[in-house]
Amino acid sequence: MYGWIWQRLPGSTYARAAAMTAMAIVVAAALWFFVFPWAASHLPIDGTAFSG
Amino acid sequence: MRQTLRVTGEVLLTVGVVTLLFVCYLVWGSGMRAASAQRAFASELNTEWAQASKGNPGLTATPGLTATHPALPERFTVATGQPFAFIRIPSFGQNWRFALIEGTALAQLNVSPGHVPGTQWPGQIGNFAVAGHRVTSGNPFWSLPSLKPGDLVDVQTELNDYTYRVIGQQMVAPDDVNVLDPVPGHPGQQPTRRLITLITCDPAWTGTHRVIVTGVLVSAEERLCTAGSGSGCPGAPTPGPPR
Repeated sequence: MYGWIWQRLPGSTYARAAAMTAMAIVVAAALWFFVFPWAASHLPIDGTAFSG
Repeated sequence: MRQTLRVTGEVLLTVGVVTLLFVCYLVWGSGMRAASAQRAFASELNTEWAQASKGNPGLTATPGLTATHPALPERFTVATGQPFAFIRIPSFGQNWRFALIEGTALAQLNVSPGHVPGTQWPGQIGNFAVAGHRVTSGNPFWSLPSLKPGDLVDVQTELNDYTYRVIGQQMVAPDDVNVLDPVPGHPGQQPTRRLITLITCDPAWTGTHRVIVTGVLVSAEERLCTAGSGSGCPGAPTPGPPR
């Protein structure tokens, strides 16, 4: 998976590493700001409301 | 075979890292979100209240008054998700303050403790019920189970300061909605007391039980905002976000 991406990235090793890091940051940000808030509001982590 | 194992390993590692990140989000990220929402609610309330008292000079306090001031009659029409009061619990510390908003769906609880729709409002005869997260979203009600009879709960609305004194605590099942009745535990009975019910989950991080703290109104006074009075008054500097 990661190897597959690595092979398709152009440039030197450093450029590839930088691109991989940038992609990881973008994915992490998307998770943090969009996916996690959504997931947290759909998981019964801290059910405070009454279910009655 | 080798290839399959490798991809499986990578996927599992990725899932693990994402899960750890999610835990970090729940512990810190949700609190940051709630804190910024709280700042917005606080400035919204302060602005709203400042405008309201500008428009009604009768509400402006006379400086130098020290006698007790009877509470003003108050009506509440609050849309879901909108703030209407501040809650302070002195035994949680000086800086512990949250806005109260209308509604207790997750969308509301994730930013603020909320008023349970259909229950009474601050100061009214019956039961003013407030629910909040024990963990995540700034952990507003983390310390709720530590409240003892005699501890005070202050609710500040546009016109009045209400002070409730804790009278008891109990643990109930999540479907035990009788604690929300005007006379808790006695559906249909005519209320005579002015109660507050604070609700959070127990144990922390689960939804198996609810901790219920009950208080009774011990004082209701017109909220006076003379120079130098406490935060929360119109024009007063907004304190930092509660931690």
